[in-house]
Amino acid sequence: MTGKISLEFPSEYKYLNLVDALCNGIIRDIELDPKTATEIAVSVIEACTNALEHGNKSNPAVNVRVLFMWDKNRFAVEVYDCGEGFDYREYMKNIPDPSDIDHIRGRGIFIMKEMMDSLSFEFSDNEGMKVTLEKVISG
Amino acid sequence: MKYKIREKEGVVLIDLSGKLMGGSDAELFKDCIYDLLEKGRKKIIVNLGKVTWINSAGVGILITGYTTMRKKEGDLKLLNVSEKIKSILYVTKLNLIFDCYEDEEDAIESYS
Repeated sequence: MTGKISLEFPSEYKYLNLVDALCNGIIRDIELDPKTATEIAVSVIEACTNALEHGNKSNPAVNVRVLFMWDKNRFAVEVYDCGEGFDYREYMKNIPDPSDIDHIRGRGIFIMKEMMDSLSFEFSDNEGMKVTLEKVISG
Repeated sequence: MKYKIREKEGVVLIDLSGKLMGGSDAELFKDCIYDLLEKGRKKIIVNLGKVTWINSAGVGILITGYTTMRKKEGDLKLLNVSEKIKSILYVTKLNLIFDCYEDEEDAIESYS
């Protein structure tokens, strides 16, 4: 059980349903348990929302690229945007309390961190900002 | 996102449908909440039964509605919360903020 599928879409909210449909299709195909499936699907949408909003500034001329990869032990998703990146470690030191209702936004990274087994950020001049989400699975 | 407004026993039900996320949805929902407040409606139930998916920005939209109502001595409760939405509420501990109901009559009854 191994696979790799990629998708590239303009930075518009309306295309998130394509990402969601593809993600759910893959998850169904490899028969993940419902909790794992929900956590992956929610996290992928958070990563793509951040990429199109914060990375690509919702510019429809700029694409977000998503790469799904899986084998019998691991499900990984890489999300690429063309932004300038940010200091993830510094952000995580001062991450807002997600239960604080005075904050309307700013829960996406917390949600991904809690729901996935690994979350990493990497910036390069060639590829832009890359977020990698990983989940251990039992195939 | 789309919505329809119903009223039962002095309680306003907002039936949301489609995708609940950032962008224009936030303004649409905020306008809806302010419109209800202008009409003196402060007992609100948001029915999420037909919301196909949501992200954290969508949860932020619900928080805006909740805090706006609470500041005006009203309340906003949730109905028909899917497993996906519950997972977001639980991981962010917002399940401790929002009153959630499975049954419409129970949600309405909670305001009496």
